[in-house]
Amino acid sequence: MSNIVQILADAISLGSLYALVALAIGLVFGVMKLINFAQADYITIGAYALVVPSASVTPVLLLGALPVALMVPGVMLVVTLLALATERLAFRPMRNANPATLLISSFAVSYFLQHLVMMVHTGRPKSVGIGNSLAGAVEVLGVRLPGNQILTMAVAAVLLVALVFFLKKTPMGIQMRAAAENFQMARLMGVRANRVIAVAFVMSGIMAATVSLLLVIQTGTLDIRMGLMPVIFAFFATVIGGMGSLPGAALGGFIVGFISVLLQAFLPAELRAFRDAGVFLLVILILLVRPQGLIVDRAAKERV
Amino acid sequence: MGAKFTLGLAFAAGLGLLSAAGARAEEPIRIGFAIAQSGWLSNYDLPPFRAAVTKIDEINAAGGLLGRQIAYTAADTKTDQERSASIGSEMVNGGVDLLVVSCDYDFGAPAALAANQAGIITISLCAADPKMGVQGVGPYAFTATSAAQAEGVAMAEYARTKMGLKTAYVLEDSIIEYNKSACAGFRSAFTAAGGAAAILGSDTFRNEDPSIAAQITRIKALPAAPDAIYLCSVTPGGASAVRQLRAAGIDTPILASTAMVDNYWLNAVPGLKDFYLPGLMSLYGDDPRPEMATFLEAFRKRWNEPPVSSYAVLGYSMIEAWARAVEKAGTVKADPVLAVMNSFRDEPFTAGPTTFTDQMHIQLNRPWLIMKVENDSFHAVELFRNTIVPDMKLLFRVGQ
Repeated sequence: MSNIVQILADAISLGSLYALVALAIGLVFGVMKLINFAQADYITIGAYALVVPSASVTPVLLLGALPVALMVPGVMLVVTLLALATERLAFRPMRNANPATLLISSFAVSYFLQHLVMMVHTGRPKSVGIGNSLAGAVEVLGVRLPGNQILTMAVAAVLLVALVFFLKKTPMGIQMRAAAENFQMARLMGVRANRVIAVAFVMSGIMAATVSLLLVIQTGTLDIRMGLMPVIFAFFATVIGGMGSLPGAALGGFIVGFISVLLQAFLPAELRAFRDAGVFLLVILILLVRPQGLIVDRAAKERV
Repeated sequence: MGAKFTLGLAFAAGLGLLSAAGARAEEPIRIGFAIAQSGWLSNYDLPPFRAAVTKIDEINAAGGLLGRQIAYTAADTKTDQERSASIGSEMVNGGVDLLVVSCDYDFGAPAALAANQAGIITISLCAADPKMGVQGVGPYAFTATSAAQAEGVAMAEYARTKMGLKTAYVLEDSIIEYNKSACAGFRSAFTAAGGAAAILGSDTFRNEDPSIAAQITRIKALPAAPDAIYLCSVTPGGASAVRQLRAAGIDTPILASTAMVDNYWLNAVPGLKDFYLPGLMSLYGDDPRPEMATFLEAFRKRWNEPPVSSYAVLGYSMIEAWARAVEKAGTVKADPVLAVMNSFRDEPFTAGPTTFTDQMHIQLNRPWLIMKVENDSFHAVELFRNTIVPDMKLLFRVGQ
């Protein structure tokens, strides 16, 4: 029984992580039809902002040396500025290009950022110990849960609620939803395109920063490719959930996290190495049954 | 006029011959390095490369090899297999006496193949795959290190005989073959003495997995806790796995493979204890072998800093081995040098006793320096030589 509870906790916390990344991708896609693979590098750079840029293998802490109350906003600021910069320099000039061109340009931005990090920090993975106090296990309902799992779940829950509140209750949130539904019409109604898109990037930056901190607390590791796997899984999550639908993206994130953990937990030993193949197979099956994704956005038909 | 012309021709020819002979005596011995100086593999290639250069400089300062100086050129393969192939063949066509290739079978083999085809000796800095040898690349290919299987075998033997650990759980990072080979070695040696039941279970993960929570849950659900966890992985995923294991309250001794050596990743797991692996040497001043201190001093003198990785010693030792074979053979010609190298039986070099045969160009039971983590640093425990020698089936992981 406690084993089942533990597996559920594993699944929920991995799902929360994927859901956060998927939401960031979904937000930007909603307003711009851009599938932003540079999201992976936002996560990576957020993590690297914790240490002093250098080729040293044992880095000195930079933002990571600050107290939590400053470190978290510091990392968020760095990643948000980065996200805004990529939007301004790389994506804004291409705003009217078709989604395929945008996708390619996001790959270019991603490679550029990855190699920038490699140039400054070298490709050798680095290690940092932040949030070590969270590394202990906590007893919940008779199950010893690692502190970082609880943190991941709590942070995801808070961000989800905050996001829903923002989208439903604030003028900017309403403008964003309008822009996601019909960008041209929203503009005709007085929604400022630049502002809405910039806000979407800011929010994707904040989520990337959150994910990078959660990842570093969990793994203690900085690597130039650390953002890649979460973003690939999150991309599949947004596709399962229904492109353009934010509840869909969050749901998709949880589904991918659950499938991944359950396959790891219940596949026989010889097949476990093919866990990811199993995840993607299920993604294909879901899409065969529901090609539009699980939650169909009203405006999605003309998009996808 | 005819006679004059013939005379002139003969004179010119004679002069040419003379100068050619003169040039041969003066011409340096040439070593090519087709290695990654950029990209992720450069982290593994550069430390042993610098150590190799240290040895070359030492030989040159002492009067050279066979009275000739050694000149080396290094070209960057940029961690790219195609580039490895093209740089390898360029260097071979340009005429090198020894071609040194990357620290990895997949990235080193393309260059090594070019050398092997041309009948030139080629050595990988530290590929732990036996295919970097006679059966894979060909008879002229060597590697400076031990087989990954031998790492697993040594750790298993040490755990059973010296640490008294009776049961183990195997956690395998399936991202590269090196890990699978180390795990195969461990399983084979651990069950050889304790029977199949000695391994309580095994699981896999992938290096880039953001979480191994599900794997940890499985370990915790075992009916009996294992005495040790054998983790065959590499950084960064390996470091992340250790952090997550300890965070989940699993304090069982962790046994790991050589690639996890050195302090650079220990920040990820502050206060780590009970972590053991078979190392090549200690960078931390407690290696029981005096030759390691000499090597570290030489390296520091040449580069004004200590090596980043203890794999460096392999590059130093590799040049040492080849130079000794050249001296014994009295020539740099590949076939006589190859014959001498194949006759090495526990030949003492800096990295340890070295054995090559015409069938095996990788070390199978070179003594390991068992190391453990304490007070946020690796420390030497003792030298340990595995008595079980991996056989061909295990080395090429066939019929397992």
